[in-house]
Amino acid sequence: MFPFRRLNREVDVRMVRRASAVLVSMIALCGVGTAVAQDPSPARAVPAPSASPPDDGDWAMPAKNYASTRYSELDEVNTGNVRDLQVAFTFSTGVDRGQEAAPLVVGGTMYIVTPYPNRLFALDLTKPGAPVKWSFEPKPAASAQGVACCDYVNRGAAFADGRVFINTLDGQTIAVEAETGREIWRTRLGDINKGETITMAPLVVKGKVLVGNSGGEFGVRGWLTALDAATGKIVWKAYNTGPDSDVLIGADYKPFYDKEKGKDLGVTTWPPNAWEIGGGTVWGWISYDPELDLIYHGTANPGPWNPEQRPGDNKWTGGIFARNPDTGQARWFYQVVPHDLYDHDAINELVLLDLPVKGAMRKTVVRPERNGYVYVLDRATGEVLSADPYATINSSTGVDLKTGVLAMVEAKAPKMGKVVRDICPTAPGSKDWNPSSFSPRTGLLYIPHMNLCMDWQSAEANYIAGTPYIGAEVRMFAGPGGYRGELSAWDPVKRAKAWSVKEDLPLWSGTLSTAGDLVFYGTMEGWFKAVDARTGEELWRFKTGSGIIGQPIAYRGPDGREYIAVLSGVGGWAGAVVVGNLDPRDATAAKGFVNAVADLKEKSTKGGTLYVFALPSRR
Amino acid sequence: MRARAPMALLCIGGLAGCERVRHGVQSALDPAGHQAGRIADLWWLFLAVLAAVYALVLILLLVAAFRPRRRGRVPVGSAFPQEAPTERRLTRVLVAWAVGTTAIILTLTGFSYAVDRDILSLGHRAELTVEITAKQWWWQVKYDDPVPNRSFETANEIRLPVGVPVRVILKAQDVIHSFWVPNLHGKTDLIPGRVNETVIVANREGRFRGQCAEFCGFQHANMALDVVAVPRAEFDAWRESQLAPAVAPSDEQSQEGQRVFLTSACVMCHTIRGTTAASRVGPDLTHIATRPSLAAGTLPYSKGNLAGWIADPQRIKPGSQMPVTGLSADQLQSVLAYLDGLK
Amino acid sequence: MSSPCRRAVSLLLFAAFALAACDREDREPRGAPVGESGPGATVQGTLYAGEPTPPDPRRQEYEGNAYHISQGKQLYVWFNCGTCHANGGGDIGPPLMDDVWIYGDSLENIFATIVQGRPNGMPSFRNKIPETQIWEIAAYVRSMSGQTPTAASPGRNDSLNAKPAEQRTPKAEPKNSNPGGPGVEGRQ
Repeated sequence: MFPFRRLNREVDVRMVRRASAVLVSMIALCGVGTAVAQDPSPARAVPAPSASPPDDGDWAMPAKNYASTRYSELDEVNTGNVRDLQVAFTFSTGVDRGQEAAPLVVGGTMYIVTPYPNRLFALDLTKPGAPVKWSFEPKPAASAQGVACCDYVNRGAAFADGRVFINTLDGQTIAVEAETGREIWRTRLGDINKGETITMAPLVVKGKVLVGNSGGEFGVRGWLTALDAATGKIVWKAYNTGPDSDVLIGADYKPFYDKEKGKDLGVTTWPPNAWEIGGGTVWGWISYDPELDLIYHGTANPGPWNPEQRPGDNKWTGGIFARNPDTGQARWFYQVVPHDLYDHDAINELVLLDLPVKGAMRKTVVRPERNGYVYVLDRATGEVLSADPYATINSSTGVDLKTGVLAMVEAKAPKMGKVVRDICPTAPGSKDWNPSSFSPRTGLLYIPHMNLCMDWQSAEANYIAGTPYIGAEVRMFAGPGGYRGELSAWDPVKRAKAWSVKEDLPLWSGTLSTAGDLVFYGTMEGWFKAVDARTGEELWRFKTGSGIIGQPIAYRGPDGREYIAVLSGVGGWAGAVVVGNLDPRDATAAKGFVNAVADLKEKSTKGGTLYVFALPSRR
Repeated sequence: MRARAPMALLCIGGLAGCERVRHGVQSALDPAGHQAGRIADLWWLFLAVLAAVYALVLILLLVAAFRPRRRGRVPVGSAFPQEAPTERRLTRVLVAWAVGTTAIILTLTGFSYAVDRDILSLGHRAELTVEITAKQWWWQVKYDDPVPNRSFETANEIRLPVGVPVRVILKAQDVIHSFWVPNLHGKTDLIPGRVNETVIVANREGRFRGQCAEFCGFQHANMALDVVAVPRAEFDAWRESQLAPAVAPSDEQSQEGQRVFLTSACVMCHTIRGTTAASRVGPDLTHIATRPSLAAGTLPYSKGNLAGWIADPQRIKPGSQMPVTGLSADQLQSVLAYLDGLK
Repeated sequence: MSSPCRRAVSLLLFAAFALAACDREDREPRGAPVGESGPGATVQGTLYAGEPTPPDPRRQEYEGNAYHISQGKQLYVWFNCGTCHANGGGDIGPPLMDDVWIYGDSLENIFATIVQGRPNGMPSFRNKIPETQIWEIAAYVRSMSGQTPTAASPGRNDSLNAKPAEQRTPKAEPKNSNPGGPGVEGRQ
C-alpha cells in the first residue's frame, strides 16, 4: 500500500537528496532575489552627480554641464513623435564660414557666436521669430585669418553671472553684459605674429574664465589661462611645455605612471629650446568635477608634425591634465601620445562618468581619443582603466595598462624622405574635436567619428614666426569599407559598440542625446538627423542649407515647449575645400583633407544659418 | 740609357710633391685615424708591388726591344724539331708568368679583404653618434644624445675626442653627396632617401679637412668640412658650451645687430637658439664664432671674412643658397658685432 | 644639296638649337642689385584710365627661365608658402593653381602680394626675402597654374606626388584679363 516500503534504500536516499537540493536552491534564489532587490549600486554608467545637476531646460555652456554629457532631460520630443519635428524659426548669421559653435540658451535668450569676425548675437526667444535683442562686434584683427589652421571657427560662448564670455580669433577674451550686449572687459591673451589664435569655447569655473590658445601648427607654445570673470585679469597661466615652474607642476603633482614623473620634463624631453615652439595648445574641451575640485583638459599636438625634428617624449603635449581650478597647479597628467607621430591632439571632450570597472564603481573620465581608442581613466589618479579601439587602427597596437605606454607600429612611423602609406587613423584622427554625448537612460556614449586613412611624407619644417611649422605632406582617403563617417554608440561598461550607423561623408558635427531616447547629429551635406538612441534607426531627417559641423542643443523655450537648435554652415578643417574654394587636383590641399572629401563641393555650399526645430504647435 | 735622365727628374719632382702630401690637412697619405692608416698601408703595398711589376715589365720590354738579333739560321725542312726546346722554355715562362700574376692578384685581394674587414669592425665600439645631413652645399651636423635636450646642432664642423670611435650617420636632403675626410677614412655617400653609416676615429690631435666627394652641383668644389680632433677633456668642455643657447648680446651695437638679424632676411633661414630664429634652411649660427671656417670651408673664420660673406656671398660662392641680403653698412656692422660675439 | 653645304647647314642648325637652350638654363645667381628690382606700378583691376600700363620687362627674364623657376619651387617650400597654400591646392590661403586670383595673377602682382602682404591674412615678406628670390617665387607660383612655358616649368616631384607636374598642368588663365594685364577677381 505505502509505496515507500517497496522502494529500496538507494532510491529513498536519492529522492531525499533531490528534494533537499531543490528546496535549498529555492531558498537560495529567494535570498539572492532579495539581495538583488536590495543592492544599491547600479551596474551601469552614470554622469558624475556633482558635475551634472538636474536639467533646468537651459543650455548655459556648450557641453551642457561640467560633466560634458551634452544630454537633455527634455522628453517632449521622443521616438514616437520626432517624425513630426519641423522648423520653428531660422536665423542667418551673415557669416558663411564653418559653424562649429553650440548656441547657448539662458533665461529666454539665445546666444550665438559666429566664426571670424566673431559676432555675438542675442536672440529674444520670448518674441515670435526670435528677433535679435542685441549684437556685439568685437572687431578682431583681419590678419588673424592668416594664422588660423582650420577655418576661422569658434566653438561657442560661455554664460555665467549675467555675463557672456567669448574668445576672438585674434586672441582676445571679451566679457559682455548678457542683458544689453555692452562690453565689460576685454583681455588680449594671444599674439597673431607668433601664430596664436583662440577658437575654443571658454569655460567658467568658480568665478574664473578658463581660456586656452590655438596654434600647434604654427610653433606656438601652448597654455591655459584663468581670467577673473569680474575683471578679466589673469589669475594664473599654465604653459604646457617648458620648466615645471611654467607648467605649474609642484608639490601637488602626483601622476599615476612613472613615465610622467621627473623634474622639468617639459624641457628635458625636447631638443634644446624646441619646447619654446613646441605646441601643446588647449583648443578643445575642459570638464570640471566639483566634488574632487579638479578641472580636466587635454593638450594638443607637439610642433612640428615631423617627429624626427623633436626626439624625446615631448612633454606635456598630447596628454590629459587634471589641475586645481583656483591655482592651476597640476594634480596628475597622462600622456596619451608620447612623441606624437600623427598630429593626434589630445584635446577631445572628457566625459565625467561613474562606472563599474571590474565590479567596483570608479570615478572616471571617458575620452574618445584621436588615435582611435576610447580611454577610461580614473579621474582622481590618472590611471588608465581601459583603452579600447572604436575605429580602424593600424598605427598602434594598444595601451599597456601597467605602464600606460601606447605601443606604436614601427612600419607606420613617418620617415623623412619616404612616403609611408595607408596609416590609420589619419591626422584628424578617428574623431576630431566634435564632441560625443552620453545618455544615462541607455548608458551609451554617442561618438560621431570618421573612417579615413592617409599617406604621409615627412619633410624638414622651418620655423618662421607667423607661418605654419609643420613638415609633413599628407594625403587622406576613405578607410576600409569605403565609408568616411560613422556614428557609434559605445557602451563604456561593456567596452564595446552597441550599434553604429555608417555615413558617406566624415562626421564633423557633435551629437546631442535627449531623454526622449533620441540622438541628434548633422552630416557634412546638411542633413540634420534624429536616430533612436537604443537601436540607431533613423527616425527623422531634415536638409538644412549647408553642411552641419556644429553642436546641436535642446532647450525649453519660454512657452514650455522643447526646441532643438543647430547651426548649419560647412567648414572647419573637414570642409576647407568648400569655404576656401580649394582645388581638389592637389591631393595635399588642406593638409590632405581635400583628397578625402573631393566631392564635397558638389554636396554642399557655404552657409551660416541657425535652425531651430520643434513639434508642431497645438494651437 | 738616354731615357733615364728625364725619368730621374720626374722622380725628384714627384718626391717633392709627396712630401707636401704626406703632411697635409686633407691627405690620405697622412693617416690620422685607424681606418685611414690601414687604407694607407694597403695603398703603399699596392704601390710597391705594382711598381715592382711595372718596372719588371718595362725592363723586359726594353730588353725585348733592344735585344740583338740571333745569328744562325734554321735549316730548311726541319722547322719543328729544332724549335721544340725553345717552345718548351717559352711555355714554362708563360706558365710561370701566369701563376705569378695570379698569385700576386690573389695576395693583393687577400690583403684588401683583410683591410676591408678591419676598417668596418669599429662599429660596435662607437661611443659618440654624429648625424650629418648634407645639403647643397654645406653640412648640417647634429650631435646625438640619449637625453634629447643634450643633443645639439652645428654646421660644417665635427669635433672629435682623440681615440674615441665616432659613428657618423649620413643623410642627404637633395642630391647625392659623399663624405670624405682623407686623413681619417675613405668615402661614404650620402644618398637622399637612405641612411648610411660609417665610423671614424682620430688617433692624434689635429685639424683635418673633409670634402664632398660626389659631384653635387654648382658649388661642389666649395663644400668642405672641418674635422678637429682634441683631447677628451677639451671635447667635453666644447660640447657643454655648444649645448648652451646663444650668448646674449652685451653691448649696444650687438643688441642692434640682434635686432637687425631678427627683422631682416637672416631670420628666414638661420637658427640662433635662445632667440626666435629657428629656421633650418641654412646653418645653425648659435655658436658661429667658434667655428674654424665659413661657408663650408670656403673662407677661414674672421670678422672680415664674415663681413665679405654677408655682404656679397654670390661673389665668393656663386650659386650658393645664401642670397645678397642688402643690409646697409651700419646694419652690417651691427650684425657682425652680434655674430662675432656668438661664442 | 652638296656635302659641304649640308655640313654647313647642319652646323648652323646645331648652333641655333644650342643657343636657344642657353636662355632656359641661363643662371644669374647674383641678380640685380637690391633696391633696383621692385615691380613697376602694379594694377589691381582691369579698368584703365586711357591706355593700359605696359607690363614689367623683367617678366621674361624670370618666367621663361628654368633655373629661376626651380629655385622658386625650392624657396616656396623653404619659406613655408606651401604650409598655407599646399602644392597649389590651398589650405589656410587660397589655391594658386586655379584661375581665381583675388589680387592679380601677373608676375608683378604676385611680387607685390608677397612683399606687401594682404589684409585677410597674407603675411608681408618685405625685407625678409631678397627681391630676386621673390621674383623667383612669383615665377614658380605662375607655373602652378600652367602659365609659364613648358620648357621652363618644373617636372615631376621626387616626393609624394600630390598633383601633376607643373610642366603638365593645363593653363588656367583668368578669364577676365586684358592682354598683358593682370587677371583680378576682386569681390565676386
